[in-house]
Amino acid sequence: MINILRFNVYIPSSLEDALEFLKREGVEAAPMAGGTDLLVLMRDGVKRPRKVLDLWPLRRELAFVKRGDGWVRIGALTTIEELNASGLARDRRYLGFMDAYKQFGAPYLRAIATVGGNIGTAHPLSDVVILLLALDAEVRLVSVDGERWVPLSKLFRGKRETVLTPTELITEVRFKETPKGSSTVLLKFDRRWGHSMGYVIVGAYMHLDGGRIADVRLAFDSMGEPYPGRAFKTEDFLKGKEFRSEVISEACSNVLPREMRRIDDYRASAEYRLDLSKVLMKRALLKIKSRIEGGEAYGGS
Amino acid sequence: MAVAKPESGPREVVEEYPDIKVRITVNGVEREVMVKPYERLIDVLRYKLGLLSVKEGCGRGECGTCVVIMDGHLVPSCMVLAIRANGREVVTLEGLAPEGMIHAVQKAFLDTLGVQCGFCFPGVILATKWLLDRNPDPSDEEIKDALGGQLCRCGSYLRFVEAVKLAAKYIKEGRTYFDVEDVKKELYLRG
Repeated sequence: MINILRFNVYIPSSLEDALEFLKREGVEAAPMAGGTDLLVLMRDGVKRPRKVLDLWPLRRELAFVKRGDGWVRIGALTTIEELNASGLARDRRYLGFMDAYKQFGAPYLRAIATVGGNIGTAHPLSDVVILLLALDAEVRLVSVDGERWVPLSKLFRGKRETVLTPTELITEVRFKETPKGSSTVLLKFDRRWGHSMGYVIVGAYMHLDGGRIADVRLAFDSMGEPYPGRAFKTEDFLKGKEFRSEVISEACSNVLPREMRRIDDYRASAEYRLDLSKVLMKRALLKIKSRIEGGEAYGGS
Repeated sequence: MAVAKPESGPREVVEEYPDIKVRITVNGVEREVMVKPYERLIDVLRYKLGLLSVKEGCGRGECGTCVVIMDGHLVPSCMVLAIRANGREVVTLEGLAPEGMIHAVQKAFLDTLGVQCGFCFPGVILATKWLLDRNPDPSDEEIKDALGGQLCRCGSYLRFVEAVKLAAKYIKEGRTYFDVEDVKKELYLRG
């Protein structure tokens, strides 16, 4: 029998109880949502918390997908499976969630991995996070002393680092309902389909008004920092322009490389990653256009 | 309580880990087990309850060998702490069919020669069962998605698809269970 690491588990009775616990033991404790990342880190000895805060009992309060008042709100402990079952992706505007679902690990991981866990673990190659970034989502952080909303684009500080203090918990992520005539996409380029981390992931949102790009948001797994980021300059370049192949090509091949810095590592070279980013960005925009126009609902990358 | 060792040097804290009582319904039988907080469901099923079909492959949720069905969800038992299974219902390969019988999914995999070395099979069969429970008539695409997380070093993947379709056919015909002796005779199996 392999013991990952010995630790004690605190089982909270409510959200308040969990927050009180973090206030007392925050520095030495690790909150665990699905555990699909934390348990692996602990097995590898990367993280060695003395105590683990089991968040699973809080699913009564924190597992939901709600729409209303112009917002889409997703509870932090909603599993990927539940997110799909909620029917959000049946809305043509949120087809990106279908991409994220289909590419997300394996069925058995979708049953326990959560949206909040994906955000909190701050891994740069998290599909759901990149899609939420393209939807300009914000995250609700709660502690005993109060709560604050932080835009997802300001949440990350490094690989596996966020602005969360040890006493805070992510309880919810929300984004504004997108207008009619818009859609989302998530594309990943990978050695094999699903179940592994991509070389390049792009999440995109676009609103077409007539033939004009009324609004666009592009999120990549990395813009240079070791965490997901938005391609703000490329977005600015595209906004208000006609959706024509010359404009898109110009944005992909000339504007994007000016603000994106890619890294070399054992998985791929920077040059290759940058090239993939350009190609995937182009494909993403074309796919959104076809989705808005009622074309294919879902297809591989 | 934490007790600090008196020696100088890096202070080692000796932590105590209480035994926690959990009730898990395993294959229809309610079992009460004492577990440590850090023990995983696989540790309990395999080493405490002796269900040897639950195997640890990678231990990090990548290979699908250790999957079990918990409350209708397919979960990797190496990624679920035992305390999280408290009050829940777990099905392993052993619980698929009554004594002396095998499940249609098992029969289908035997028929199509989908089993080669057999290491990954407890997981593959449970994933198939889980898929057919939710979707009695899956397409090729759906089968590939559902079994996409089950790694098979022998590479029987193409036969997986064939076998799942055959299993779906058996179940639709109402032949959910097969008598082990009959199957042995039919397929010339010994042992």
